[in-house]
Amino acid sequence: MSVFSLPRALSIARKEVRHVRRDPFTLAMAVGVPVLLVVFFGYVLDFDVRDIRLAVVDRDRTPASRALADAFTASGHFRPHGPPDVPAARLLEEGRVKAALFIEPGFGADVDRAVPARAQIVIDGADNQTAGVIAGYLDGVATVAARRLGADPPGDLLRTRFLFNNELNSRWFVVTGLFVVVMGVLSILMTALTVAREWETGSMELLLATPVRPLEMILGKLAPYLGLCLAGTGLIYAAARVLFHVPFRGGLLFFVASTVLFLCCTLAQGLLISVLTRQQQLAMQFSNLTGLLPVLLLSGFTFPVESMPAFFRVLTWFLPARHYMELCRGIILKGAGPLALARPVLWLAALAAGLITLASVKFKRDLEP
Amino acid sequence: MSEPAVLTEGLTVRFGNFTAVDGVSLRVERGEIFGFLGANGAGKTTTIRVLTGLLAPTAGRVEVAGLTFDHGADAIKARVGYMSQKFTLYTDLTVAENLEFAAALRKIPAGVFRERSRDLLRFIDFRDRADVLVRDLPGGLKQEVSLVAALLHDPEIVFLDEPTAGVSPSARVRFWELIRGLAARGKTVFVTTHYMDEAGECGRIALMRAGALIALGTPRELKDRAFPEPLYDLHFPAAPPAGWRNDLAAAGTVQPHGLRWHVAVRDPRRWEDLLARWGTAARARRIEASLEDVFLRWVESPA
Repeated sequence: MSVFSLPRALSIARKEVRHVRRDPFTLAMAVGVPVLLVVFFGYVLDFDVRDIRLAVVDRDRTPASRALADAFTASGHFRPHGPPDVPAARLLEEGRVKAALFIEPGFGADVDRAVPARAQIVIDGADNQTAGVIAGYLDGVATVAARRLGADPPGDLLRTRFLFNNELNSRWFVVTGLFVVVMGVLSILMTALTVAREWETGSMELLLATPVRPLEMILGKLAPYLGLCLAGTGLIYAAARVLFHVPFRGGLLFFVASTVLFLCCTLAQGLLISVLTRQQQLAMQFSNLTGLLPVLLLSGFTFPVESMPAFFRVLTWFLPARHYMELCRGIILKGAGPLALARPVLWLAALAAGLITLASVKFKRDLEP
Repeated sequence: MSEPAVLTEGLTVRFGNFTAVDGVSLRVERGEIFGFLGANGAGKTTTIRVLTGLLAPTAGRVEVAGLTFDHGADAIKARVGYMSQKFTLYTDLTVAENLEFAAALRKIPAGVFRERSRDLLRFIDFRDRADVLVRDLPGGLKQEVSLVAALLHDPEIVFLDEPTAGVSPSARVRFWELIRGLAARGKTVFVTTHYMDEAGECGRIALMRAGALIALGTPRELKDRAFPEPLYDLHFPAAPPAGWRNDLAAAGTVQPHGLRWHVAVRDPRRWEDLLARWGTAARARRIEASLEDVFLRWVESPA
């Protein structure tokens, strides 16, 4: 008794393609949703802060104090704001500015004498997300200002240089992660309904009455959606390059191979859900629960895996999305090759094989008495 | 006698504590049209699932087309055709695509498939184009195409689980012409139905109740066995006389039949007395038992 027949798997794949071709909704979901989400997320999820409204209180009024204030505006992150007659404390309180720069009298004189000169910046800490970003920019601004004033840079001992994304462009970071988020969520939904639908419509009875093998069903159903999802990934790639000018530094072939591995994991996960639930409604809920949540929260998209509690950090090893995230960022932004990224690749391969086997084994109980 | 198409001895299927099929023994000869009757949940579909290789029996001996489960479920599946109670074709695929898919799953060579599907579509007198979507076919025709899909691998035995449920009366008549046509081609047909007129078309009938086989025979035999006593059709043109139910219960058993009553007379003397007493208030005539009477008496009434 054969375990796998390629012609039979292909006929199942051909049948699935026919379903998809006649179902504009699935097609729209596979092709339209990725583009929509990338544009949406790419523009909205922007951790960069530009044009921070800054109140400048210059009580020194020397060339040095003006140079310091200019250093802030010249950085592009800050914009002087607020009428001079209103106290800066009030502007902060009313939220009209996010930060205030106080330069006390004697600042210029101190600079001239080359003794440590003092200026103070007060940041609105109520919005700690923005506050954190502002604090991050201060170092850079201070360095620029010190250079202009001919003084030693304040952080001379510790200089930070950001590799790979030296502008710390958060959009690149977000858009790269979107490959994982969008395809991770979408691909599970693609397959989660297919087996359940066969149970609900009754066509499963036809399949059960034939000698079809579980692995033929699983692979036959997986293949067409793999193609569809790769097309969706291609669209995300196009959007990332054209709309957000994300650099692509790694090997395209390696990236495609990684994507195939990742999609095999998630599509098999969808099939497993479908085999277990047998109901489209339930399958939908399960795939949202096991797809959307981990992808958003545990993949490293929003929270770095390194800063998670130990339990969750270990849990992420079993999430395909976490490894694909590592691969996406590694390949696209760093240009890393298969050798440097061997670990996530091996993990994904193991997870894909495991999930396909599990789905087939669970399905076997239905197919074979 | 030649090898039977289906043979079961003490066939039992249990799901946990629930016994769906309880020691069923039956023998179906080749070329028979074998009717399988019973209320919903009597275990008909479960029995059919065992006989089509979809479900392994918990206990008992099963032989289908000379094969047992020891030969593997696939060996059985290759020799039987199964048309499930549910509509199993893909409505968003065309007739040709559905048939092609069913054939591919059974690895029927392309040439053989072309010939058989042409032959079978001619058999059901299919006049539409084969590239019409199944969802656009009328209900009766959908069932006929479904039958074709179940016959593509030229099975020896065809199991039809309520093939005419929910189709129009004329489509039912047509479908039964096809069933007789199958038998004429030498196929064994094992069919379940809720329509008693259809049951009358079967060569032999098995009656199931709560998982057990309670009767087996030709329609004639079943009628004679269920009603050894004479059966009367009784009705009251005006208001029935007071206390008639109790009076009648002493003479025989009563089953409602629309606005009429079917009375199986146990005590002819009392029956004659009652009729004399009621006079023109009651009208009774001797009738032949129908399968419906048999069904009501054995399957639906309490034991």
